[in-house]
Amino acid sequence: MKRLGRLLSCSAAIALLGGAALAEDVTIGLATAQTGGLAFADQPSLAGFQMAIEEINAKGGLGGKYMVTLDIKDTRSDTGATVQAAQELVAAGVKVLITPCDADPSIAAGQISQAAQIPTLTFCGTTPTITDAVGDYMFGTYPADNGQAALLAEHAASKGYKSAYILKSPDSAYTLRLPEYFAEAFTAKGGTIAGEGTYGLGQQDFAAEVTKIAALDPQPDVIMTAAYEPDFPAFLKALRGAGVTAPVLGSDGIDSPTTTGLGEIANGIVHTTAGFAADGTPLGDFYKRFAEKTGAAPETVYVATGYEIPYILDAAVTAAGSMDGPALRDALANLEGVAVLTGKVTYKGTNRMPSRDITLVEIQNGARTPILTATPDPASVPAP
Amino acid sequence: MRLWLNIPVTTWTGAALMSAGVAVLAIGLKLALGLNGENLATLVLLQIVAVLSLAIFSGNSGIISFGHSAFMGIGAYAAGLLTMAAAAQKSALPALPGWLAGHETGLLAALAVTAVVGVVVGVISGLPLARLSTGSAAIGTLAFLIIIHVCLVGARDITRGSQTFYGVPRLTTLWVALAAAILMIFAARLFRDSRLGLALRASRENEVAAAAIGIDVRRARFLAWVASITCATLAGALYGHFLGAFSPKDFYFDLIFTYIAMLIVGGLYSVSGAVAGVIMLAFVIQLLREAEAGLDLGFITLPQVFGLPQLGLGLALLLTIWARPLGLVGLAELRPSTFTRSSDEAPPQPVTRPTMARRAGEVLSVQDVTVRFGGLTALDRISFDVPLGQVTGLIGPNGAGKTTLINVICGQQRPTSGTVTLSGHTLSALPAHRVASVGLARTFQNIRLFDRLTALENVVAAAERAGHRRGVAEGIAMAELDRMGLAPRWNEAAGAFAYGDRRRLEIARALALSPAFLLLDEPAAGMNPAETERLVEALEKLKAERDLGILVVEHDMRLIMRLSDRMVVLNKGQKIAEGTPDQVRTDPAVIEAYIGTRRHKHDQHGS
Repeated sequence: MKRLGRLLSCSAAIALLGGAALAEDVTIGLATAQTGGLAFADQPSLAGFQMAIEEINAKGGLGGKYMVTLDIKDTRSDTGATVQAAQELVAAGVKVLITPCDADPSIAAGQISQAAQIPTLTFCGTTPTITDAVGDYMFGTYPADNGQAALLAEHAASKGYKSAYILKSPDSAYTLRLPEYFAEAFTAKGGTIAGEGTYGLGQQDFAAEVTKIAALDPQPDVIMTAAYEPDFPAFLKALRGAGVTAPVLGSDGIDSPTTTGLGEIANGIVHTTAGFAADGTPLGDFYKRFAEKTGAAPETVYVATGYEIPYILDAAVTAAGSMDGPALRDALANLEGVAVLTGKVTYKGTNRMPSRDITLVEIQNGARTPILTATPDPASVPAP
Repeated sequence: MRLWLNIPVTTWTGAALMSAGVAVLAIGLKLALGLNGENLATLVLLQIVAVLSLAIFSGNSGIISFGHSAFMGIGAYAAGLLTMAAAAQKSALPALPGWLAGHETGLLAALAVTAVVGVVVGVISGLPLARLSTGSAAIGTLAFLIIIHVCLVGARDITRGSQTFYGVPRLTTLWVALAAAILMIFAARLFRDSRLGLALRASRENEVAAAAIGIDVRRARFLAWVASITCATLAGALYGHFLGAFSPKDFYFDLIFTYIAMLIVGGLYSVSGAVAGVIMLAFVIQLLREAEAGLDLGFITLPQVFGLPQLGLGLALLLTIWARPLGLVGLAELRPSTFTRSSDEAPPQPVTRPTMARRAGEVLSVQDVTVRFGGLTALDRISFDVPLGQVTGLIGPNGAGKTTLINVICGQQRPTSGTVTLSGHTLSALPAHRVASVGLARTFQNIRLFDRLTALENVVAAAERAGHRRGVAEGIAMAELDRMGLAPRWNEAAGAFAYGDRRRLEIARALALSPAFLLLDEPAAGMNPAETERLVEALEKLKAERDLGILVVEHDMRLIMRLSDRMVVLNKGQKIAEGTPDQVRTDPAVIEAYIGTRRHKHDQHGS
């Protein structure tokens, strides 16, 4: 019926426009967490995504001919509800599925869309195993954990650090695997791991971990962790309180005002981020446009990474010339050097977690300065 | 009441009705909404399975378990490891121990193994849990939630730790979920009305009284826990095969809170409540999900707002607690009569038992009992006998030590020295729940009934402890209710009875144990003269009919003088007189104790 309807509307369009560009209506389904524990990332991602779709529709649609309607379902940050939403969207015949910023719901939903041959992209899931766990229709968009770790390791090596201490938490894949990827990449570059400590998410007291680090002789050249709020500030305060002066490397989890608000002890922290909105850069311009449109500048970079996804899709649809599942999948997988707000995105030669630019920023006196924007060398990125 | 396999037939028909209703709902959803309806129905059925597994323990024991979601996780991982395709397993779990790898079983085989795992973890966790008091047990289950979560995260080679466990085949179809839900409905309803379920519900209503009729509360909780955990691991296995990918956090606080909310909204104390709660909340959530996509009401268009389902869930919970503390369904179970409005059930036929031949000379003997609380001597070398076939009255002013003595006799208080014996058993060394089986039944000064159980269930719970099967137990229970004049109200909740009726129901329950000795702790307290008169008549009739030794503790002098064959008088922890009512009445020590009590009332300690 649907196909028939589309056929009819197509022929109607042909009859009406008589040879003008043929616009076809397609639906993109979003099963993302607009409430609950993942909303902090999925909400801004959606805001950016919607803005980009509006722009693209105004220019004639994806690939210049597919007018996009969004079917947005809230998953309440619950994997069961994500499965339900994904099944509904697949049944409704969406052409592309967007999943939350987390591996569990993304993989669970991806297994459904994979079977239906619907290309699926996760908003900002960073776990590099997401894509291989699902199959050839699943794509990441955000800098993966192992890519971030590789860039941090490159930075550490270029700074001449010889030994590193890593602090990880087994409570989440991000806080556990990212430091482990770092250790792998760092040792591959000739560094040594001076020791490693573990903590629990939400742990208030880091005295034991910090005492262990302070007792190391010799002291490590650098300390690396993927801890974020509220653990990271607590850890940093304890660390500097114990007199440890080694520089600290962090990941994109601390890309928030809280970190710069830590004052003097935050000086010298280097961490990864998906992008830094400096004036005159595409990202900086986007922040201005977004502020003009909504009245407030984006609070996180997730708005930008969400905004980039429709443009990545646009590039793929243009290349494929269609939105059929297999064709779109192949086009996505072969994208190379697509320019987006935060740099360039490449899928060709990857396991569908993109090889893309990541920015390193350094904190000094309550402000961030970008020190490097680069795509980590694929050879140095640890296997997921 | 007709029985089938010792369970009321109405329980079977009720479960069948409920299953039919759930099946109609599920199939209706599929027919009406197609694939979406099928998915929704599958999810709701899985929730029914999970919530019922929780209800088997929490509903019957009254102890809310926060741990069930974690046990579901164990089931999901165990079954997922078995059904996973070998190729997927190699890439997802490269370090998996060999004996766990490459089984590729079907769902049924995986469920069978999961059930065994469930029994094992149920036994391991149940052993410490059953030893905890009611309040601490709930906290204990919270500890299980956290411990299991940490273990699942820690066992990286087997579970991928906090990373997503993927590659589980999505084998839980609508039909699998429906079959599981129907089986679980039957399991939960039959368990609730079984001997063990009734004992557990009795302990939920009043733990002390349950022990006094011989229910081993620890044992009952342990067995129910193992059954409930086994069901929870199976529920988890099915949920895991619905999700296809999950990690330990999917089986943590959020999941159990949703289930507990469903249970409370529907009604914690009945299986029907659990099912109704799931269906109602699923309905509310689904409706609000549709609404949050934006509503066009014709005259006004509402924008897309997210978060409505959670708002609805919270509101439903709040409204339930405020308006219907027992949940939507309350205590009633779905049964055929729910629709006909006629009371379909005839009361069971009373069974009159042949009076048990007592061994001549059997005696309840208090020997040299002393109890000291720190420096205070509550009882000082008290000795007396309670013979069969007689009523022994125990009196004494406030603070004389009567309650302490009763607690010693019933095994609730260990004496500092001395013993209480009955037919060769030392009562004072037995746990409270063993006292009844030796032949001593009791009532309580502050009535302890199983309020949310029917009068019949109150008495049947006791009769079953005397070793009777359900059918006989019901007959005995009816006979005892009849004796106390309560037979017409057999099917009413005990909590609805008036004060005097409650006293008599308690006595009926004690008598259903067929005890050799009966201890009545202030049976007339708080009764008006008419009620007291009816009680005395009932007791006198009992004395004439049954070869029973009765120990009555009472303040009402007129009553005790009239009932007693012999009397024992305590004062300030010492026995000051013993003899016939006439001898005691004229004993100078007794007169002084009582008059002295009035004069020095303020010096007395509470008993």
